Amino acid sequence: MPTTFTHPDLSAAAVADALTASGFEVDAPAPSTRVVLDTFDGRLRAAGLRLELRAGADAALVLLDQEGAPPARLAWDKAPQWPADLPPGPFRTRVASLTQERALLSLLTVTSQVRAARRVDRRGKVTVRAELHDRVVVDGELLPTWLVEVRGVVGHDDDRERAITRLVALGLQPADGDVVVAVAERTGHALEGRSSAPTVPLDPHDGALTAFRRVLANLAATIDHNLQGTIDDIDVEFLHELRVAVRRTRSVLAEGKGVLAAEARDRFRQDFGWLGQVTGPARDLDVYVLGWEGYVAPLTLHDPTSLDRVLIELQARRQAAHAELADVLRSDACRDLLESWRRWLVDPDVAASDDLHIGPVIAKRITKAQHKLITDGRAITPASPPERLHDLRKDAKKLRYLLECFGSLFHTKARKAFVGQLKALQDNLGEHQDAEVHLAQLRDLAHDLHARATIDTDALLAMGRLGDHLDRRRVQERGDFVERFADYDTKANRRALAGLLAEPADA
Amino acid sequence: MKVAATYSIKGGVGKTSAAVNLAFEAARAGVRVLVWDLDPQGAATYLFRVRAKVRGGSRRLVSADGALAAHIRGSDLSAVHVVPADFSLRHLDLHLEGAKRPTERLARLLEPLTDHYDLALLDCPPSISLASESVFGAADALLVPVVPATLASRTLTQLVDFLDDQVEAPAVVPLLSMVDRRRKLHRELVEELRAEWPELLGTAVPAAAVIERMGLERAPVGVYAPSSPATRVYRALWAEVADRLWPPDPPRRIVA
Repeated sequence: MPTTFTHPDLSAAAVADALTASGFEVDAPAPSTRVVLDTFDGRLRAAGLRLELRAGADAALVLLDQEGAPPARLAWDKAPQWPADLPPGPFRTRVASLTQERALLSLLTVTSQVRAARRVDRRGKVTVRAELHDRVVVDGELLPTWLVEVRGVVGHDDDRERAITRLVALGLQPADGDVVVAVAERTGHALEGRSSAPTVPLDPHDGALTAFRRVLANLAATIDHNLQGTIDDIDVEFLHELRVAVRRTRSVLAEGKGVLAAEARDRFRQDFGWLGQVTGPARDLDVYVLGWEGYVAPLTLHDPTSLDRVLIELQARRQAAHAELADVLRSDACRDLLESWRRWLVDPDVAASDDLHIGPVIAKRITKAQHKLITDGRAITPASPPERLHDLRKDAKKLRYLLECFGSLFHTKARKAFVGQLKALQDNLGEHQDAEVHLAQLRDLAHDLHARATIDTDALLAMGRLGDHLDRRRVQERGDFVERFADYDTKANRRALAGLLAEPADA
Repeated sequence: MKVAATYSIKGGVGKTSAAVNLAFEAARAGVRVLVWDLDPQGAATYLFRVRAKVRGGSRRLVSADGALAAHIRGSDLSAVHVVPADFSLRHLDLHLEGAKRPTERLARLLEPLTDHYDLALLDCPPSISLASESVFGAADALLVPVVPATLASRTLTQLVDFLDDQVEAPAVVPLLSMVDRRRKLHRELVEELRAEWPELLGTAVPAAAVIERMGLERAPVGVYAPSSPATRVYRALWAEVADRLWPPDPPRRIVA
């Protein structure tokens, strides 16, 4: 673990002299830039890693491991947006396995004049390193101080300790972490990324209206944070997170009957219904393109390129859908909706009456949502139309949103265990729905391409095979539903939910 | 973590030069490398400027699971760590004999380090012994330097024949080493070796003064002669080795 020092009164030159007096070789100042890269939701950071593009004397793309493993350093000079931009190898594999469908974004840029320093032993081997960063600029803002980072070399802990002791003796103030951590703390930059978690801290005795508004405000912030990324189409998760936040908002509004003012509740439900609807086509096509390889791989096509034309068309449609969506999200209607929603959330007049406690209100809502899910699920037979499964999927989402948005009211472990059971059912319903939608889209696409005479016979035949595959998948998910629902609709599971609602939240 | 070993039954064929320079090039390509010097002469240890000292000697080194981490030393390259060698490793065979399942011993010692490194590069002494068998048990690939000499092919055949009898043998990756293109005999032998061993890597390491200077510089060639032809050779060699260790499989770019 590196240690970073500073001092409000000493000059950088005095510290350089002190390092020299302590036996360090100190280089002349050289420009340095470090750009911290991570996904929007900080997936690398969550895995204990930090990706930095370094320019200057120390130029490389560096993957730092907070768990004590050596840093990986790739000779590279451009910020990758996707791991695929990097050469193949373990570096790329490690990054890709964590970032998955999310793009890499620049979170923080630190420039400085750096003086590299090192102590060497009699073999000429470096035993401890230091870096003195002066004229530090963070995202355009000049820091009023210099920073010196001391980093040990494995097997030479004593040398590191001695160096730290000397700097402390000079009156320098140490802090755990390297220069980037120190800079982020001083400037208030969050390196952990933005979470879209819907759970907010609540107490069962909180006023119901206050609690609903807190949950809705958190969802509004998620919508706001994901709006620009969706418009810019940076990666598919921005739209997904925005869409989920919109659906959760709508669902929470629906559950706010008797708590939230009816007029506002109805109006915003309708408006967010519209917003949810306009985001649908782009998301459906995202899922199609994302799942494409999984769909095509099992077909073992004679000519693997025969469906390329279809994928290109799907991608074109996807881009068009995203462009259309971006126009909507930039529109006055959307801006007005989000502004009026934010105003309502902070309007003090709205909180005039808040005499219900959130705990019992949510317990009642969850009981009702579970009852509807069980009743509707039990009513589904092999002869039921697919719409019944789609409706059941909505029931499941409604229950899930309640359990997640108001999750802090319940025991975390028990809640997550129950949500896991619910998720297994949702996965089945989701796969069924995706297969339905994608089959319909494929048919539409086949007609369109054929009508435009832009597809050859081989591709049409391959589309037929893909259609069969999607249909088999749909039928299989439909067949699996009985078992999945039976797994969910058990006495143990029902008891688990009852226990969850009866238990207090974690202390 | 992949495990590769620079190995040859013969001595003086460029094993350590290959290990040290491949470690440098691997690190440059974003790979976290652990070089384990298994040769009691400790040449790799010396070239990385690490103190040639194995605390407790080779007996302690192979004594208990997880003990290897305590022997690791940083090098001047931040992405390359070293398990140094000292003269006690001359008894490695003896201490392995006393261990349970000696041919699995090195693999078991490396196991706890799997998440810390992408590549363990074992620089082996020239022999075929119990320690060699333990190396074979741990390695995914044996990088076998072959010098253009009349008996080189025979030595390689001996190794391949030996490994043919093993249940889980590492891949044998032979590479031409210490090639002097000015010598007619070398050119002819290289041609013969390539004809006989099509699996030889395309890159041939030359006999070059800049490589011999490693002993003076105590560093990989890429550190003190980054633009030299020898550095380019090791870079190309690493690219071939990396392809063997991690066959390219480009990840999908999600959005067009």
